[in-house]
Amino acid sequence: MDMLTQDKEAAVMACIYKAVRSLNEERGADEQIAVGPETCFFGEGSALDSLSLVSVIVDLETLVSDEFGRAISLTDDRAMGRDPVPFTDATTLKNYLLELLAE
Amino acid sequence: MYDGKIVLVTGARRGVGQLVAEHFLKHGAQVVGFSRHDDTGEPRPGYHPMAVDVGNADSVARGFERVRKQFGRVDIAINNAAVLTSQYSMIMPAAAAQGMLDTNVLGTFLVSREAAKLMRRGKWGRIVNISSMAASLQPMGDSVYAATKAAVATLANVMAKEFAPMNVTCNTLGITAIETDMLGLLPRDKVDALIAGLPIPRYALADDVLNVVDFFVAERSSYVTAQTVFLGGVN
Repeated sequence: MDMLTQDKEAAVMACIYKAVRSLNEERGADEQIAVGPETCFFGEGSALDSLSLVSVIVDLETLVSDEFGRAISLTDDRAMGRDPVPFTDATTLKNYLLELLAE
Repeated sequence: MYDGKIVLVTGARRGVGQLVAEHFLKHGAQVVGFSRHDDTGEPRPGYHPMAVDVGNADSVARGFERVRKQFGRVDIAINNAAVLTSQYSMIMPAAAAQGMLDTNVLGTFLVSREAAKLMRRGKWGRIVNISSMAASLQPMGDSVYAATKAAVATLANVMAKEFAPMNVTCNTLGITAIETDMLGLLPRDKVDALIAGLPIPRYALADDVLNVVDFFVAERSSYVTAQTVFLGGVN
């Protein structure tokens, strides 16, 4: 993996972590979401309710758009129709975002 | 009254949209006016026209990106943009019906969705959808238009539930006939007949509209959401 790709991966993951931390700021001390590559956003094992997931998605779209200078959508038909859905965990989400940014 | 507020008005170049935009401007707001065509008027302090087709998701996304970069937030969104083709259903062209659905329904949805994203951070917002007496009176010739205007109230009611945790209210104002360009698209005798049948049988005045808009967006109206207010006694 070249340095450029590594940097891009790290930048995308940083956006994901920032979105989760931002959500944590709105949650109580006993409701904090663990921040890491395995953070689960959707389905079994996710600690996020639907509104929290929406918050993360909205923040993440903005953060990635600012970071990479182009608009991306995480909620189009393609994203929701994938198996597994891109929100399974932070790593899956990062890979999906990299895919979108590569287009 | 609205000092420091960022207000977005769709369909702001003329008619009710222009009226509402002027009102917020006059009372100190920064007003972003979305309209399909470039505003060729004289620049005015506090007024920020943007060419946005609300029925086009990409156009709306670009418009909101500009708003986000320029202001960082939206406090009040007035979904006023609408198109009207009045025609008996059996001879209504599909393209005209689609145009009304795109601007009136999809446009209201897209703008509300994007506005809510910007209102979320500040945990405050007001969304007002402009509907019409047609939604209730259901006049012949307005099958699609009336349906779209009923739809914007339903949109507001559902979004009111979704956005309530963010302290964002969503309400609908059903206006009666008012002297605008859109009125010229309808046979005046038929509109007169509809108005004559209202409990208060007169055309709406600017202040009738602004009074309810002011009420919906007021700080004190934080407990008023998912409501539709019709002017003139329409219900």
